[in-house]
Amino acid sequence: MMQPRYVLIALVATLCSCGSPANKDESKPDTLVIGGDDASDLTENLYQMPTPNELFQIVKTMSGEGQKRMMSPAKNVDRYATMQKKALNFGVYATDLVYASNYKVTSEVVRYYLTCKKLGDDLGLGGAFSDTDFSRLERNLTHGDSLDVISNDAYERAYRRMQDDRMGPTLALVLAGGWMESMHLVTRQVLHFDAADPLVMRVAEQKTSLDHLIDLMEQYKNDPGVAGTRNDLIQLRDIYDTFPVIRSQHQGASPSGRQILGDDVTVIITPEGFNDLVDTLETMRENIIKPEDSVDTQPNS
Amino acid sequence: MQLRSILSAAAITLVTLGMAQSECSEYWKSAPRSGDSRFTVNGQSRGASIQVGVPTELNVIIYKGQDYRVSFVYDEKIIGDHVIARIIEKVRQPKPVKDAHGQADQGKPVFEDNTKVIWDNQDHEMTDAVEFTATSTKRIAIEVTAPGIPEDPKSKNSGKKMTDIGCLGILIEHMPTPAIGF
Repeated sequence: MMQPRYVLIALVATLCSCGSPANKDESKPDTLVIGGDDASDLTENLYQMPTPNELFQIVKTMSGEGQKRMMSPAKNVDRYATMQKKALNFGVYATDLVYASNYKVTSEVVRYYLTCKKLGDDLGLGGAFSDTDFSRLERNLTHGDSLDVISNDAYERAYRRMQDDRMGPTLALVLAGGWMESMHLVTRQVLHFDAADPLVMRVAEQKTSLDHLIDLMEQYKNDPGVAGTRNDLIQLRDIYDTFPVIRSQHQGASPSGRQILGDDVTVIITPEGFNDLVDTLETMRENIIKPEDSVDTQPNS
Repeated sequence: MQLRSILSAAAITLVTLGMAQSECSEYWKSAPRSGDSRFTVNGQSRGASIQVGVPTELNVIIYKGQDYRVSFVYDEKIIGDHVIARIIEKVRQPKPVKDAHGQADQGKPVFEDNTKVIWDNQDHEMTDAVEFTATSTKRIAIEVTAPGIPEDPKSKNSGKKMTDIGCLGILIEHMPTPAIGF
């Protein structure tokens, strides 16, 4: 039988480990730190990323039809062995699911739902992609508008589950994989570069979400599973940093009559900058989706 | 006997901490929704336990061409009858760097995050909600500080310390910026 002393030590250790929120700097105290004379000097930082659904809903009107071949091959789902690859590719597949639902690539919605369920179960997210929702999805396959709601709900459930269960590094990798895939799917819709193309401008302003993601991942920069991916993102940010940013006071009122907060911000992108960004992004994405038991991947046919 | 008491206390603390976190995580769902049915709930809404007097920042992204509504809901018994809320824009900008001779360094530029307060509810009668149009995609921090409530003299005399951690929910809603008029 276990000695009471060891029981106590184990319990204290458990208590300590519970106080390590996923989204915090290691040098700062926990969300639930009580009191302390210096408590008011601290700011608690929480981060949220927009769901891919938000971006796809915005760019859908600017882009062409959804294309199955641009999505990561679902058949590779069993070929990711490490937790790092599983997390990154969960983000990739979940984004593909939301993309397929938004762009009405109906034939792929069920396939990618099951793919996410499989990887989600491996990551300990059982229940986020439920059988009940799967049945709902099957029943609604002919109602495109419901698909993105169901898919997005599942994505959000998985996201919040990782937050509640304090799976910080896993969540960081999922978000990184999701961001890369969103960018891949959006940039692939740009057939001819035109700096004034609204879609190109949306690509340029994703500098903001990349800065945000890198900030979010800062607290895990020493985690060996996260560090490499974060460094990749920093490499992309270095490219974005070469794009001039112009800030100007907004002229006129909002079309809705609501107040406008802050200045207008325009990120200037050149054809060379765009190509550099896309080439680097594609190389990194290929590396993410590459199965761990092989060298090459084939795109969806 | 003493060990059993310690174990019990530790177990109760463990359960309480866990409950506080999980109870607060969905607190944003209790925030009143906008009367404008075109607003939909944004996935960046968040609930958390916060400590009185300690600013909490929720860092989110707002997209160009969208209208947003941000509202706050909180446990008034602990947090107080209002919160102090600000929206702070975060911008990554090149930092001027000078070389040893005091000249602008021509090497690789160094960047830093700058912040700018773009809304403060202390200028708006401590309102619990704000609506705005995003004309650019921005990184913002929604900063909330709980003032707490005045200490009850009865509990002061009894020697009991009041809890200073309560639930806060930040509900974010959005819709494509609609045009008004014909």
